[in-house]
Amino acid sequence: MDIAIKDGKIVKKVNESNAKIIDASGLTVMAGGVDIHSHIAGSEVNLGRMIRPDDHVKDVVKKTALTRSGTGYSIPSTYVTGYRYSKMGYTTVMNPSMAAMKAKHAHEELNDIPLIDKASFTLLGDWWFALENIAKGDLEECARLIAWMIRGTRSYAIKIVNPGGLESWGFGRNVHSLDDEVPNFCLTPRDIITGMAKVNTMLNMPHTIHLHTNNLGVPGNYKTTIDTMRALESVYQGDKPIGHITHIQFSSFAGDSWAHFKSGAEEIANYLNAHNHMTVDIGQVTFADTTTMTADGPFEFALYELGGHNKWVNSDVETEASGGIIPFHFKKKNAVNAIQWSIGLELSLMIKDPWKWFMTTDHPNGGPFFHYPRVFAWLYSRKAREATLKKCNKKAQKKSLLPTLDREYTLYELAIVTRAGTAKALGLKNKGHLGVGAEADVSIYNINPETTDIAQTYKPVRKAFGNAAYTIKDGEIVVKDAEIVATPPGRTMWLDVQTKEPCRIDEEMKRKFKEYWTIEFDNYPVTDHYIKVPEKITIKASV
Amino acid sequence: MITITPKRVFTVPVQAACISADVFAGKPLEEIKKLSITEGKETITLDDAFNITEDKTIETPNITLTGDFSKVKRIGQGMKTGEIIINGDAGMHTGEKLAGGKIIVNGNSGGWTGSEMKKGLIEIHGNSGDYTASPYRGTSTGMKGGVITIDGNVGTDVGCYLQGGIIRIKGSAGRYLGYHMLDGTIFVEKDCAIRAGACMTGGKIIINGTIELLMPTFTIDSIKPKVKIDATQNAQGPFYVFLGDIAERGTGKIFALKATNPAFKDYEKYL
Amino acid sequence: MTKIIKSVVCPICGCLCDDLEVTVENNEIIKMKNGCAVCEAKMVHGYKSEERILEPHIRKDGKLVPVSMDEAINKAAQILTDSKYPLLFGWTSSASETQHVGVELAEELGSALDNCCSVCHGPSVMATQEIGIPTATLGQIRHRADLIVYWACNPWSSHPRHVERYTAFTDGRFEKSEFKDYVQKLKAKASQKKVAATIRRTQVRYQPSRPQSATVEAPPQTLAKAGRKMIVFDVMKTMTAEVADYFVKVEPNRDYEIFGAMRCLVNDQELDVDSVGGIPVDYLKEIADVMVNAEFGAIFFGLGLTQSIGRFRNVELAIALTRDLNRKTKFVVSPMRGHFNVTGANTVFAWQTGYPFALDFSQGYPQYNPGEFTAIDLLRREDNDATLVISADPGAHFPKSALQNMMKYPLITINPDWNAISRLGDVVFPTQWCGIEQAGTAYRMDSVAISLKKVVEAPKGVPTDEEILRRILEKVRTIKAQKTTKENKEPQKEEAPKKRRLKPQEENVKAEGD
Repeated sequence: MDIAIKDGKIVKKVNESNAKIIDASGLTVMAGGVDIHSHIAGSEVNLGRMIRPDDHVKDVVKKTALTRSGTGYSIPSTYVTGYRYSKMGYTTVMNPSMAAMKAKHAHEELNDIPLIDKASFTLLGDWWFALENIAKGDLEECARLIAWMIRGTRSYAIKIVNPGGLESWGFGRNVHSLDDEVPNFCLTPRDIITGMAKVNTMLNMPHTIHLHTNNLGVPGNYKTTIDTMRALESVYQGDKPIGHITHIQFSSFAGDSWAHFKSGAEEIANYLNAHNHMTVDIGQVTFADTTTMTADGPFEFALYELGGHNKWVNSDVETEASGGIIPFHFKKKNAVNAIQWSIGLELSLMIKDPWKWFMTTDHPNGGPFFHYPRVFAWLYSRKAREATLKKCNKKAQKKSLLPTLDREYTLYELAIVTRAGTAKALGLKNKGHLGVGAEADVSIYNINPETTDIAQTYKPVRKAFGNAAYTIKDGEIVVKDAEIVATPPGRTMWLDVQTKEPCRIDEEMKRKFKEYWTIEFDNYPVTDHYIKVPEKITIKASV
Repeated sequence: MITITPKRVFTVPVQAACISADVFAGKPLEEIKKLSITEGKETITLDDAFNITEDKTIETPNITLTGDFSKVKRIGQGMKTGEIIINGDAGMHTGEKLAGGKIIVNGNSGGWTGSEMKKGLIEIHGNSGDYTASPYRGTSTGMKGGVITIDGNVGTDVGCYLQGGIIRIKGSAGRYLGYHMLDGTIFVEKDCAIRAGACMTGGKIIINGTIELLMPTFTIDSIKPKVKIDATQNAQGPFYVFLGDIAERGTGKIFALKATNPAFKDYEKYL
Repeated sequence: MTKIIKSVVCPICGCLCDDLEVTVENNEIIKMKNGCAVCEAKMVHGYKSEERILEPHIRKDGKLVPVSMDEAINKAAQILTDSKYPLLFGWTSSASETQHVGVELAEELGSALDNCCSVCHGPSVMATQEIGIPTATLGQIRHRADLIVYWACNPWSSHPRHVERYTAFTDGRFEKSEFKDYVQKLKAKASQKKVAATIRRTQVRYQPSRPQSATVEAPPQTLAKAGRKMIVFDVMKTMTAEVADYFVKVEPNRDYEIFGAMRCLVNDQELDVDSVGGIPVDYLKEIADVMVNAEFGAIFFGLGLTQSIGRFRNVELAIALTRDLNRKTKFVVSPMRGHFNVTGANTVFAWQTGYPFALDFSQGYPQYNPGEFTAIDLLRREDNDATLVISADPGAHFPKSALQNMMKYPLITINPDWNAISRLGDVVFPTQWCGIEQAGTAYRMDSVAISLKKVVEAPKGVPTDEEILRRILEKVRTIKAQKTTKENKEPQKEEAPKKRRLKPQEENVKAEGD
């Protein structure tokens, strides 16, 4: 089969006499990878970079005639991020956590990440304007405000992190169930989640709400996660998923304490197998000395209090969000870490439909993104899983369900959980596949699908996934034999959500704005100046 | 033995981590001469900057450096075996991450000497700079083992995050000696500036001279007649023994010689 | 023609107040509303200075003579490529777009790269690298903080609107302004009788057994009140201390000990000493109680911590105290960043290289180490052999020994006016005033990006610093390409670095340093 590319798109056919031809026979060809959740840019990420010279010094990247210098490891500098993604055959990455007030910063950084298309999700779950309107029951006004915010921050989706918890963290508290009241706002996390899901539907957003659950990282939290998914059943209209729970591994813990920590993967997988209104991504642990970072400030503090960490960052953002950072070393010999690793894979193997779950490490939380090939190997090779499990903590080995799971992913299934499925969940119609009309983002790996038993020879296959033979971005060869050969900037996708009537920007609103924020209304939105190569996607909302 | 002397006075820093017994081992002289170093922003060969000769009759030391090496950084970095003698001043990061072998500096040594070292011996017959035996920025695992002896004085922040090994200072020590140390021993024969042992959680600091000012976060434990420095040697007291840093709930110990620290007499009322 | 421009951002300090109303007439700012005195001094008067550089200059035979832009660019690029190890320093009064090009230039040159934070809040950044930092944007403090502590800083003079916009004297959602209390306090002071009565009553209520300190007042009863409170720790009574509820006079260079002691007290531990840094431990105990009892506390610290003995270790302990307090209540800590875009310099450098300042590219990849690659340390060791200074004035602020070494080698400057360093330069570029004549992005002290506005046109022929850097970068690349082709033909001989011989300037340096 041939794939024809012209003007950055996949077409039916081209004139072969003057076309450049790549002979990919005996190789694996996939659409460019689409990452649904990876913290690659923004204030939080950069603060993480800034506090970790110890992390950078062990992974340095030299300047070449074509590429810029930089550093890794767990939070690579911007250019290195682009190069490393491209070398794995990834061409699109979602930056899933952007505080609205710090959106300009996120976009400035995204401009410096070459070779990949990117988009950001704005943190809106604890935004005062949204909370007030949900509490009032005025979802339509809430939707209009959110449309304004999505446009104003040049973002792609609604991100909700520990709904209600971030606002409570403003005074050092947290919420612990869906029905705890959020202090000072007369509503509960349940109201926020269902309200936002409804708003998301009203706005016809291409992606669902992108949800980081309450109680993340707390033993026994799988119950909260199932409660959350149940709460969204009422909003489901039967056609397409209405919620996405991100890095669900961190929300699938059973047991009542760290001492009795165990996996809740089976319960979560059973629920997902029986319902169709949710998608999830995993947040797989890869055993690395990494840096955890999330907008969930109270979670990071709780993690810090477990002890053994030298640095703790908390960064609250007025009226919107919070944030926390802790360097964290996931170790095979640590029972909890090893069980977490197992939970991620148990979920991946027990959720039957690959269109319902996606492969992420929640970079850099579970491990840096360039560890993806390791995760692939654990998915397609039982042998690889067993090799790692053998090195894990004995207690964890006993508790793990992995020995009972025979499933081995095929290359097709792998393509779904890394590109086709993610592109579909994100509503990116021209990505994640190689059909006519798709963007010409192609990755070619040195794996012969016909002659290779990938499960048995997992090591060379793993290596091939980390070192693409070719990566093609918009029809241009950017990687050849794992070397960067061109550095186009990549686009920033953002939504222009058009509501039937715009939200009221009157004097009252401006006054409120002045009260709530320390920036003037005029200076708040992200202007075109901040996006080097924009791709505006216009959406007609139904409100 | 390889002998290295500078061809000129360096005006910009030279990074030469390749000057190490491990790297030279088994290489013919011609190959050693072609090893790559940087002088400022320029990448040059060892031969461009230094006169290098070999004397096959002498086995130890493996390398002798003669001349002013104060601008030459990272000599003996990560070395595992062998011996280097520097007859002159050594630059920053000398013997950084040393994992064995011996480095002798017959002169002064720059900052971060013996930083994050694991094993081996560094002898400095002069003064040593700030951050001697202290880890890189943002790292909280310091020197793990081995011995550093300094005949002269040391700068500030010496022995930070020390996890093991012995640092012996024959002169005086600057501020933040043994900052955040977890284990190991620091022995200062002369005086010590303020904030010694701040944030320490374990290990011991023995000071035979005067402590300029003790952190208020230390509490007096006892008076002891003597204290062990290493397996073969004791320091003769009596010593005031302080426990701390209590702000970190630490159990590190500072031994301050009673005779030279009359200011601590006030503490005796708590004994 | 008169026009009024609203929501203009002030390009002075780290507060980046963005509510200025500027009146422009005939391409000249004639009036400004909402800004502080410092802002007015620069935006209405200062930028029009007669000391403005209007064209590029090159030093020829010891004298600066005007030249064409091309000549200056060529000369600068030649100096930088000939140098074995140049240093690029400054950056903090430039927009982040300019800083962005700066990193690229440093990388291309393989030079050292540092920004002014190494002489201001660099230690604060280093402290976060050791221990992290619990912090918040300024609005969070405005809405929630009921205890504000200014430590070793004097915002009343250095960040004049900080108190009024972000902390004690502003209305937030959950906490109201303390301004009325302050006015009442002033009134009370005005009346001798009332003061006497207040003092008498205070003394009656407080335990008289408390030891008295000669220099520090006892904590006033008002610290126990509900609502906002402000405490100032400093070595002298500043204007900020005047408006505070409580001023604690600290012995110079004893902040570290005080933080240590307060940490013990917050963690309910006993101390073996009676006073720390001149403050009785009993007073510290009461302050610790006030901190623990706060709903939301905020500590702001200034150069008094970062540039006194201990430097980043002082900040480290301030952060450790804040962290300990978070186990009992909510507390945040934040540096009072100075130049309007010093935070931006850290931010931009960090996302491109991983490191916020004190960078070196000599190995082809970024290296970081304050003390090794920071400007003053490099200069004092005489490690570099050419310097480019942009949007900063080390001429007025660096120690003599550093400047003397800087003057031994070629110096390129990019500044809008004839400040001390421009006068000492060998190649002197004119440039626009960022935030007045040039738009761009700046990062507030809490790392929120804000767009600076262009309100007037720059004088004719004066380019932006971004443009100058881009042209130098381009020229450097050309020269390097020529060099490689030449070297391939015939190997060049090593040349000893040229020492500069400049009699009159060396005298200047002396005057500057003394």
